[in-house]
Amino acid sequence: MSIEPIVGRYLNLEVGGSSYRIYFEEAGSGVPLLCLHTAGADSRQYRHVMSDSAITSRYRVIAFDMPYHGRSNPPDGWWLQKYRLTTADYLAMVRAVWQALSLERPVVMGCSIGGAIVLAVAAEYQRELRGIVGLESSAFAPGRFNEFLHHPGIHGGELGATYTYALCAPQSPESSTRENWWIYSQAGPGVYAGDVYFYSLDWDGRKTIGQIDTRHCKVSLLTGEYDYSCTPEMTRQVAAAIAGSRLVIMPGMGHFPMIENYRDFRAFLLPELEYMLDDPRQ
Amino acid sequence: MFSSDWLTQFQTRLNDDAEMAVIGDWFTVAMSLSCGDERCVLRFERGRLVQTIAMPRLDTPCAFGFRASADIWRRFFADPPEPLYHDIFAMLMRVPGFVLEGDTLVAMQHARALHRAMRVMRTVSPS
Repeated sequence: MSIEPIVGRYLNLEVGGSSYRIYFEEAGSGVPLLCLHTAGADSRQYRHVMSDSAITSRYRVIAFDMPYHGRSNPPDGWWLQKYRLTTADYLAMVRAVWQALSLERPVVMGCSIGGAIVLAVAAEYQRELRGIVGLESSAFAPGRFNEFLHHPGIHGGELGATYTYALCAPQSPESSTRENWWIYSQAGPGVYAGDVYFYSLDWDGRKTIGQIDTRHCKVSLLTGEYDYSCTPEMTRQVAAAIAGSRLVIMPGMGHFPMIENYRDFRAFLLPELEYMLDDPRQ
Repeated sequence: MFSSDWLTQFQTRLNDDAEMAVIGDWFTVAMSLSCGDERCVLRFERGRLVQTIAMPRLDTPCAFGFRASADIWRRFFADPPEPLYHDIFAMLMRVPGFVLEGDTLVAMQHARALHRAMRVMRTVSPS
């Protein structure tokens, strides 16, 4: 028998005139590391990071479920509006959570849609951050949205889970890729489609990421070799646009490194978190 | 590409697949595999591959199918597969020559079992 060090709580806050009940988990102490999950998933994807004492001994790791995801409710009146995540709403929510939790100069790490929005977070708030870790980060990623993601003739949970299962690398452990499948199968109707709307149709950071100054906000970019949603080439383009950024292409890894193959991923992640700890402004 | 020996091997392996036995209850559909002039139809009933039809005539109903060149199929069957060729969804997004033809709605209604069938298919190398 063992009890994991992860503790979950709820945060009530106002964002953009709406009330939200946000679920978050945390473990460890030290520099705040705010973790953002992928489209249609939730904070469970970071359970290995939050249970890794090499990280939690120096970082306070926090992961929250975006509204509509996991154990975070949609805002009141959700049944009267189609869920479509936008860059502005996503940025505002991330900002609101880190302010509500009083996280001082956090490192923000996100994957996929989270890997996209961390670029916007850095461009907008770089002087308030220690750095960002972008997992599967792209500045522009058209092509994933399709109407079958939310369709009355298709089981959305099974399609979303199967579609994203295919984003894992063939080398990743089966039990881990299936765990991610299970998380995806539990998304609410249209939530994955609403997130992919952001990722494929709303998000375009190509003009803003060049504003990121790595003397203020460090940037580490890690992308899996087998990621066909955010290909290594797409992240190379991000790295080329941000002077001083660090880029790692992870062999034998897919789109969900923190959950699909944590054993191999941590070897790439730990050096980047070490790099983030060295703060030239202190 | 899709020889009768290969089709038989795939049929045996799929019908022995423990996962398909769990998820295949509603997987009753006919689909095709095409490569140049070569085409075959696979007929599934409740998750079991019950018939393979090489060079089917027009009276062989078929809901959807995958079409690709020999080079693309070979990359799909490679072990390990190279990135972008490692999965049907990866190829549908990033390999323009890999085409889902026919009724794509029916294909996506069967996404889970179809994906499993194609994963099992990858483990049987064509001659």
